Amino acid sequence: MDSSKELIKTVDLLLEISSLLMVSGANTNRVNLSIDRFASALHCNTSCFISHKSIIMTVYEDNSTLSCTRVKNIPPYAINFSVISAVSKASWNAVEDHWTLEIIKNQKRYPKLVVLIAVSLAGAGFCNIFNGDYINMGVAFASTFIGLLIFQLTHREGYNVYLRIFSASLIASVLASLGIVFKLGANPETALATSILFLVPGVALINSFTDFLDNNIINGLVRYTTGLMTVLAIALGLFIAMLIFQLH
Amino acid sequence: MLTILLNLLEVAAWSGIAALGFGILFNIPKGVIPTVFILGFTAGFIKFMLMHFNIHIVLSTFIAVFFIGIICMPVAHKIHHPPVVFCIPPTIPMIPGYFAYETVLSVMNFIFMEANQAKRVELMDAIFANGFTMLFILISIAAGISLPMLLLRKNTVKKIED
Repeated sequence: MDSSKELIKTVDLLLEISSLLMVSGANTNRVNLSIDRFASALHCNTSCFISHKSIIMTVYEDNSTLSCTRVKNIPPYAINFSVISAVSKASWNAVEDHWTLEIIKNQKRYPKLVVLIAVSLAGAGFCNIFNGDYINMGVAFASTFIGLLIFQLTHREGYNVYLRIFSASLIASVLASLGIVFKLGANPETALATSILFLVPGVALINSFTDFLDNNIINGLVRYTTGLMTVLAIALGLFIAMLIFQLH
Repeated sequence: MLTILLNLLEVAAWSGIAALGFGILFNIPKGVIPTVFILGFTAGFIKFMLMHFNIHIVLSTFIAVFFIGIICMPVAHKIHHPPVVFCIPPTIPMIPGYFAYETVLSVMNFIFMEANQAKRVELMDAIFANGFTMLFILISIAAGISLPMLLLRKNTVKKIED
């Protein structure tokens, strides 16, 4: 009785860790690697099936017939590299017991304003990369700022993610289109092209490619499809803004 | 010569800032902020320097991203953070946003606005040229970042010995 309870605790812990990793934007190989490290520290064997929305895991021991299989649903995705780093560190310390799940879960996010300003600066930087001058960069900064603000506010209301991406892209590109209408700066088109780049699903697409290379074909396909849906939502917003202002 | 170098440095600095902005969006740990900036700066510098020497944008992007992929393994061991954390943000400024924009613009003109046959052929050319450049840059980013990880995999999988 005691040892089966122990097994249930182990499988719950491992499931929690792997679901945290998936949500934070790790690829499938990293999730498997972390599970193996924790399992070897906890002296048990695991086999698991990882998909985009749920994880099935069996934990068993070599010297007994006991095993435990559980399924965990994965919560909505929110990329958080601090969690990945914390899990990785914990997996090295797992043998020495210097960690708890709470430490991993309590990784602080940057304040919303810091994120807004940093991402808007990134938008301005993009504009510079594509030959925009400082006025264009200002336009890109402003439209990225408002677009990301919309994206954050709609998150609080719990709208569908693609709808949120579409509205953020539409509003950011409408604002940047004003720069073209009023002919601000040398290359106002660059501001429009770069104002929506903060929505680009870079992590999903890169993870999809690494998953394909690791033969996690289904997970790779799922990530690729979500990335594609995101790109379509961004393009639709840009498209409508261009139609409104009749840009050509 | 000096102005070219200064321009290169400015563009590279903005690449670093863009990388950092995305890193903060992805909530990187505070300790890797300088690393992300330096990697973004270096990658931008390599890419724009190669493009200055008339190397095609696809190849120069691939080389810059491949460099990040190679360097991230020793850096990961040095600063004790997993490579994904500081590898992905510096590659984001490489994303071909302007080509994507040009493609969407040409598609829209092709469908909704242009009736002149000769100009429609020009638009077809623009759609294919920009669209495929965008696609190949994306492929070179994905391949450049994951190939070194696969090639160096043997050194990275450290098993905990009991």
